[in-house]
Amino acid sequence: MNRQRELEFGVRRPKPLSVTQLVRAVRDALDLNLDEYWVVGEVSNVRLAPSGHLYLTLKDQRSSIPVVMFRSALVRQKMRVDDGMQVLMRGRVSLYEARGTLQFYAEEIQPRGLGALQVAFEQLKQRLSAEGLFDAARKRPIPFLPRTVGIVTALGGAALRDMLSTMLARNPNVHVLIRPARVQGAGAGADVAQGLADLNRDGRSEVIIVGRGGGSLEDLWAFNEEGVARAIRGSSIPVISAVGHEIDYTIADFAADLRAPTPTGAGHLVMPSKAELRQRLDETAATLVGAMRGVVAAHRKELGQLARGVRNPAAQLRQNRQRADEAAATLHAAAGRALDDRRRQLAHLAQRLRAPLHIAREMRIRAARTALHLARSLTAMVQERRVQSARLAAHLGRSPLRQRAATYRREITADNGRLIGGMSRAMETRRHLLAQLAGRLDSLSPLKVLERGYAVAINTRDGRVVTDAAAVEIGDELQVQVKRGRIQAVTRARET
Amino acid sequence: MAAQEKKFEDELKLLEDTVARIDSGELSLEESIKAFEQGVALVRSLNQKLDEVEKKIEVLVRDSQGELRTTPYRVEVKNGDEDDDLS
Repeated sequence: MNRQRELEFGVRRPKPLSVTQLVRAVRDALDLNLDEYWVVGEVSNVRLAPSGHLYLTLKDQRSSIPVVMFRSALVRQKMRVDDGMQVLMRGRVSLYEARGTLQFYAEEIQPRGLGALQVAFEQLKQRLSAEGLFDAARKRPIPFLPRTVGIVTALGGAALRDMLSTMLARNPNVHVLIRPARVQGAGAGADVAQGLADLNRDGRSEVIIVGRGGGSLEDLWAFNEEGVARAIRGSSIPVISAVGHEIDYTIADFAADLRAPTPTGAGHLVMPSKAELRQRLDETAATLVGAMRGVVAAHRKELGQLARGVRNPAAQLRQNRQRADEAAATLHAAAGRALDDRRRQLAHLAQRLRAPLHIAREMRIRAARTALHLARSLTAMVQERRVQSARLAAHLGRSPLRQRAATYRREITADNGRLIGGMSRAMETRRHLLAQLAGRLDSLSPLKVLERGYAVAINTRDGRVVTDAAAVEIGDELQVQVKRGRIQAVTRARET
Repeated sequence: MAAQEKKFEDELKLLEDTVARIDSGELSLEESIKAFEQGVALVRSLNQKLDEVEKKIEVLVRDSQGELRTTPYRVEVKNGDEDDDLS
């Protein structure tokens, strides 16, 4: 009443506000509070406007508030919101000017109860992380080609089918040991943990996959339990987690040695592709054979050079023998010339001895005697020289040099024989070895490769094996050799 | 045999090293041949390792005494699409 009177009498009467001004003032006051709120309540009057904005009313037993979620926020929203749902929403409070009503502007809406679980998740994650349970240093390597794979999951679940089909498609040569476990509901966490312990006790598995298919956070909750995380860490066998979808992260994922995004992903991660391994092996074997061929070729060339080297001594011997013969001939000739010289001198002397008829008979006789004497001595000398020469000739031409040469020849021939024999034996050994190697190489030959389903294409135009598409002309006939039989094919197109 | 206990990946690494050693041309013929024979043995062993494990799917269960027991897994993967989720 007092206040009324004051207004009437003009005391403290401010300028009147327009409605817009009033509403805007309240709105501004509200907007000053920039805090976001998490509000819990029940959804009603859900309506999706043609504009794409979502309108609803959030209420509890005593109060209610209109809520709008703009299209921009709604597109990020994964959960569908329906009447009667208990939800948790994040947003801010403001005033809707057109009506002057209070409104909640929601940014995010989650099913109720999630909040509590999320808090629990974060708390456990933080605690175990601080304990070092998720340390990278604790992660064990996953075996490259496990012979036995343990699996802890629901026996009839899609997750098991996905794991098995993926793993076996990559490599069927594996022993799988499934430890069935409940993966949701009461006691699921304890069962999963016991499953891990059982596979450890069994001891045959080289790696364990633990997981289940996708579901709500509540469905996946067993994999957020501390007991499961500790069982994973306590396993002496490396563990791969495979829980839900790619976007779902669980405590088990953090604890595991390796996190697979999905059960299918786990099948992929746990097993290498046998076909790829086989191909890599084939390629490596081919490289091995190629490298050895190179070594063998290089050594064969060296052997050839050695064999040529072994033939050389014979030629050397022939040369030496020829040189000895030539020397003997030269000696013969020289000795012959020396004899001829002596003979000519003797003839000359004899002629001179015969010449002067007027010399006294005595003189002649003396001379004749002397001449005879001289002739005799000269003849003896010549004879001696002749004998010497002959001996020299014989000496030179015949025995010691010839013998020595013959001895050398024999020795060299024997050496030669030994050398050639040795080399032949060495070469024979090598040849034998090469033959053995060739046998080995055969076991790695293309036919073996064909048995694995590869094919060899031969261009009938030039008879060459096709290794380069560029070498094939359109219309070329190809003969495709497969494990059993051949296929005639015509080139219609090629890609290079 | 010691090689039998070697892991696949270790043998594969050894094989690739062996090939590289022969390829380097630094070995004598005898050493090359020895390395080659080792390589061939590794290829054989590795190929064998790829095939040696027989496909077998089993289920690990506890019997009435609480002891672990292995039984065959009866559902074939290929026909398994109609299986209902047990959980």
